[in-house]
Amino acid sequence: MRRRRVVVTGIGIVCGLGVGREDVWRNAVAGTPAGASIAGTDIGDAPVQMACPARDFVVADFVDRRLARRADRVTHFALGAGRLALADAGLEISGHGHDVGCILGTGTGGNHVRDENHTVMLQRGVDRISPFAIPYSMCNHPPAELAMQLGLRGPTMAMVTACAAGSDAIGTSAAVIRRGDAEVMLAGGTDAMITPLWIAAFDAMRVLSHHQQDPAGAARPFDVSRDGFLIGEGAAVLVLEELEYATGRGAAIICEIAGYGASADAFHITDPDPTGRSQARAMRAAIQEAGIAPSEIGYVNAHGGGSRSGDPAEVAALRRVLGEAHAAETAVSATKSMHGHCMGATGAIETALTALAVADGRIPPTINLRELDPACTGVDHVIDTMREVRLRAALTTNSGLGGHNAALVLTPWEGR
Amino acid sequence: MSPRDLRERVVITGIGLVSPLGIGRADAWASALAGRSGAGPVTHFDASDHGAKIAFEVKGFDPLTFIDRRALRRMDRSSQLAVAAAALAIEDAGLEIPPDAERHGAVISTGNGGNATYEETHRTLLERGPDRISPVALPMIICNMAAGHVSIAYGLKGPLSCVLTACASSLHALGEAADVIRRGQADVMLAGGSEAAVTPYAMGALDASRAMSHRNDDPVGASRPFDAERDGFVLGEAGAILVLERMDLAVERGAPIVAELAGYGATSDAHHITEPQPEGSEQARAILRALASGDIDPGSVDHINAHATSTLVGDASEVQGIITALGARQAERIAVSATKSLHGHCLGATGALEAALTALAVTDQAVPPTINLDHLDPACAGVDHVLTGREQAIRTALCSGFGFGGHNAVLAICAVGA
Repeated sequence: MRRRRVVVTGIGIVCGLGVGREDVWRNAVAGTPAGASIAGTDIGDAPVQMACPARDFVVADFVDRRLARRADRVTHFALGAGRLALADAGLEISGHGHDVGCILGTGTGGNHVRDENHTVMLQRGVDRISPFAIPYSMCNHPPAELAMQLGLRGPTMAMVTACAAGSDAIGTSAAVIRRGDAEVMLAGGTDAMITPLWIAAFDAMRVLSHHQQDPAGAARPFDVSRDGFLIGEGAAVLVLEELEYATGRGAAIICEIAGYGASADAFHITDPDPTGRSQARAMRAAIQEAGIAPSEIGYVNAHGGGSRSGDPAEVAALRRVLGEAHAAETAVSATKSMHGHCMGATGAIETALTALAVADGRIPPTINLRELDPACTGVDHVIDTMREVRLRAALTTNSGLGGHNAALVLTPWEGR
Repeated sequence: MSPRDLRERVVITGIGLVSPLGIGRADAWASALAGRSGAGPVTHFDASDHGAKIAFEVKGFDPLTFIDRRALRRMDRSSQLAVAAAALAIEDAGLEIPPDAERHGAVISTGNGGNATYEETHRTLLERGPDRISPVALPMIICNMAAGHVSIAYGLKGPLSCVLTACASSLHALGEAADVIRRGQADVMLAGGSEAAVTPYAMGALDASRAMSHRNDDPVGASRPFDAERDGFVLGEAGAILVLERMDLAVERGAPIVAELAGYGATSDAHHITEPQPEGSEQARAILRALASGDIDPGSVDHINAHATSTLVGDASEVQGIITALGARQAERIAVSATKSLHGHCLGATGALEAALTALAVTDQAVPPTINLDHLDPACAGVDHVLTGREQAIRTALCSGFGFGGHNAVLAICAVGA
């Protein structure tokens, strides 16, 4: 049997770079930082007072008033990105939606709802917890609500692999289509983790940047002075379709999801495998599934979390997989320098930006990379200014706490 | 049995259970067949202010049997249950994991992750401030950490994930893990789930959703699926992990094959956030997709381990779904067991626990009972409810799981011929 092919036909994004595919892409290509002070918001005395909030997102544009009040911000983002993606794809869910499913990654689900209700219990008693405390905080609420709102009755689930969740959700969605369990999948990720609890918990782990005098310049992947990440928030949803289904309805194809690979570090709960071997396995598996040579990869959207140990490990992995010679001429950028680390959404946002790079022939830059760390050399960093390149294939990689690695290979659509 | 290439077939070769029915496959299965309930008053915390004060707790679990003291301090109970269940599963399968286990992966799910750690950490934040939070709090809370710990403990370097669909989570985990093997990304997968939600907030919040039994004076009689007097589910906790292997490789190494994981169907209700679609139409479609995905004759279904949580709407819609999918005549002769009457609703672990019991039913050709089914609700009639553990010829068995949010998953588990 011929392998079923999976293409991207729609993109919806909500994050610190804007709302909607065009808005976000314009800002990404222009190298716009979303890092900002969040002092004076409801984060109280949090030790870090900066993040990459999705400031332009208006809940009422996407969510009815009652649901907006009850549901968590993580679900608001998912509904926003999901509706934008569907509109971008020009897709109408017809009939019973049996062939359309949804997998969304998330790091922690409905944090606001959970923290609020836990506070209520502590202060006013267990009998004052809202009946919606569980349904609106569970990690699977965003995909379930999107399925309910849009009438999707195919396979629907959440993917929870920390910071790799968005990529794993897209890869697994492609696998669902390939095995024939759906013709269309809404795939992506969502997270809303700019909360007092998570800022404090991340900071206790010493993973957040403290360049607080310069929020826009604080996220500095690969730079010698990097000291961690900025928490971002938002969602990205991609419409994935089986190729013949997409061409049959005359969809505008953005690119192909050619390969997906996943691996585990089996090393440490918080520190990445420093050799890069584990990440390299995920990248190789993705390249192998795509049926291309590593030398065809022209762009890598790196995880680039801005951590001391993570960034060099990732570059080491790229050098292993691409080979020293090809790695040196492969364009690499870490768009987290602009949109921050959006946790379970980040892989989806970065895959969306990679898809747009492949379709548009423009590579968004890494910003704030003033002095390259010698431990991160050996690839062609795209710094500050976007670059025009016709790509034959691009790779996007993510790694998550717990040792999850995911990689996707995207190839341009030329009616092949 | 499906005619497909052995390389595309997936078998269950090991079962690890740390459950209210017992610790280890043999103990748990003996309790299930004998109809011994693991319910009792909550002992993990003082539940006197709670509406639901009963639960199915895991008794006699000493994590130090499985986990060294240093690692233990950084693990929520949910991860401890998973790591222990994985150890038992690996042992049961006689599996030797090579040093560079790139072809071994895991999908370990949960409903809520590290509940106890979350509650303690958030309380610390509120009462003592952000600078008093532990650096290991976040990794102990997040839902994927049971998978992470299992991978680290046993050196699994292949694909590693956690799919989450509330109460159907670990059935989706098993189905997706089987697909990882089928598409050639791994040869061996540890798959299942863990849950440790017998904690003040998680239990209080679940009760607030009005789905739990308040029959506090009769813990053993409280979980009563399909009974006319059922009034909701009773919370359980568990770690349940199965070893899945590519069939040709399992045969080659002489693995102790329990049963074939032959089919998987997943659908979504798109109906309501907590209520199932009342006619069970999407559940029915999940059953049919599970059978179709493994080229399985629907007439060969002899047993179903039902999701049946003991809620009013859920149990009735499930029986309707079975009848819709397989027809009234076929449904009448299917032996249906609701083992939640014995082990409670273990949320993200429940699907894997029930899938394990389903696989054991297939290999043992025997079915466990639904206990407390004293007066069958007429809305739940139309199948052969198993009231006493008994021998049963089983060709194909189904295991169903349905989660808040409308997620449906069904696995088809088949006997493997000699």
